Amino acid sequence: MRKVVCIGESILSPLGATPAENFAAVCRGESALQRYEGMFGVREPFVASLMDRGRWTVPGRTFFDSIVIEAAQRAVEAAGIDPASPRTAFVLSTIKGNIEYIDTQDVTLACSARRLADAFGNPNPAVVVSNACISGLAALLQGRRMLLSGRFDHVVVVGAEVQSRFIVTGFQSLKALSEAPCKPFDAARDGLNLGEAAAAIVLGFGESGWELVDGAVRNDANHISGPSRTGEGSYKALRYVLKHTSPEELAFVNVHGTSTLYNDEMEAIAIDRAGLLDVPVNALKGTFGHTMGAAGILESILSMHAVDARIVLPTRGFSELGVSLPVRVSAQAGTTDKRAFVKLLSGFGGVNGALLFRKGGAAC
Amino acid sequence: MEQLINEIKLKLIDALNLDGMTPADIDDHAPLFGDEGLGLDSIDVLELIVLLERNYGIRLANPQEGKKVFQSVAVMADYVAANRTK
Amino acid sequence: MLTIKRFASIPCGTDLTALYRATVGDYPKFFKMDTACKLGFLLAEQLADEPRFTPREDRAVLMFSTCGSLCNDRHYEETVREFPSPSLFVYTLPNIITGEIAIRNKYEGETSAYVMERFDPETFVALVEQAFQDSVTASALCGWVDCRADDDYTAFAFLVERGGNGKEFNVDNLYGTVNQ
Repeated sequence: MRKVVCIGESILSPLGATPAENFAAVCRGESALQRYEGMFGVREPFVASLMDRGRWTVPGRTFFDSIVIEAAQRAVEAAGIDPASPRTAFVLSTIKGNIEYIDTQDVTLACSARRLADAFGNPNPAVVVSNACISGLAALLQGRRMLLSGRFDHVVVVGAEVQSRFIVTGFQSLKALSEAPCKPFDAARDGLNLGEAAAAIVLGFGESGWELVDGAVRNDANHISGPSRTGEGSYKALRYVLKHTSPEELAFVNVHGTSTLYNDEMEAIAIDRAGLLDVPVNALKGTFGHTMGAAGILESILSMHAVDARIVLPTRGFSELGVSLPVRVSAQAGTTDKRAFVKLLSGFGGVNGALLFRKGGAAC
Repeated sequence: MEQLINEIKLKLIDALNLDGMTPADIDDHAPLFGDEGLGLDSIDVLELIVLLERNYGIRLANPQEGKKVFQSVAVMADYVAANRTK
Repeated sequence: MLTIKRFASIPCGTDLTALYRATVGDYPKFFKMDTACKLGFLLAEQLADEPRFTPREDRAVLMFSTCGSLCNDRHYEETVREFPSPSLFVYTLPNIITGEIAIRNKYEGETSAYVMERFDPETFVALVEQAFQDSVTASALCGWVDCRADDDYTAFAFLVERGGNGKEFNVDNLYGTVNQ
């Protein structure tokens, strides 16, 4: 089977406008998480990682559409592909898109996907993968599948999320937000922070570079908002991708790590069941917050950069293990000589996903 | 108190979409959560927190606190009577 | 080759509560669902095969629409100014419909939600076929549930399987089945 590889990428976040800038910021232990009062007209203060709207909003476009198209543009340039070709497809990953304009505009996600494809003169139907918090991971998997179907030579996978009163009040109503910067897997964790970002990966065929080896999505079939107490779907997704590798080959598992009590405990159980307790684990939510539709792509890109630099990124916010199993959470940056990693995510609707990435040249 | 209990039951049926139920179907002392009684779940707890704030001006910051208050309709009614601000 | 094992549709204007009472009746969580999820749930009931409620990882649930969760999003938005409703917020995700179907039926396989500009049979068939690249997936409940408003929707779904004796799952047969 031909190898699906990453041939271009981009990240726009409060910490930087390129993957390299963002990677450097993570290595330095930075974060843009801060407390906002009265933001978006939300009564209760909240902590979030928000982008500079003035900098990124293009006249005539919403902030969301602006960062989606800008992230795609940068990844397309990096890949050097023809975005208007009928052999190129666009996949958009987002959960709420332009929801902040629900009262005044057509905010269907399909509309944003059409504007994305139109911005590049691309003739293909624009598809949105909206699979809750695993959307970015599911969209990358979808991009891989589209390539393997033989219909396309390149797929541009773009993930983005912007915050709004709609989303912030929703998470507040679920009592899911922490009033401080979040602490993934920590004993004192008490909820998540929301974040804004856009990130894109162009997938194509190749022999070298970062291969998207395989991926799986599995459902807990348990509860629409509560994670499984047995890590059922997360374990099954991990089991699927581990068919292509072994724990010894993995530099780390980059987990969801939202820092809610139940998510992190669930992931620890799934990691244990999958036999991965000896593999380093890290999470990036303490740096970027939960960037929802962008998270799977953003966190995958930074994990690739980490392996390239032979390091295991630190888990900002983590200090004392607070899950029931001895997961090897990397508090500080570590080193690695391994060439593969697993990206893990879970979300509402009981959905879980795992992707396996491997740097070309390594023995299979 | 009986009037308050009945009122809470009606609001509960409405807020939690307990279709087809009437106040008479809900035992004052039956547990609201778990497998017995109404079998409510974690989202229902959060919705009941909104119910208390909207109708009685009571703010519960912590869902764990809710678990105590929402043991049964009778316990809820006692709590509302003691803490209501409207 | 993929084949169509079953097909179900719910015409706009159907009394969903009456349909629930006539065909299910013992799943009170139904009343907590938004309209899109009720439609997905009832379609899945019509498509379900025996044995029921046995955990299975080989069945995917793939749901498509243009509007996603927009109908319920509007209901949630109405609550935002004063008392944001957690039970409405949890339905503001286009994939909750796949979760409700998975929970009811113990389908532990892939669940995915896609949003498209319009119902486009070529893309619909292509995306379903591509989902079968997952080697564990042997069958998929795949449907178009587009809920523009509580009383304005399109809802149909297929049970598609690898092999099988039904008609091939392709654009022509999809049109033929839906138009019947």
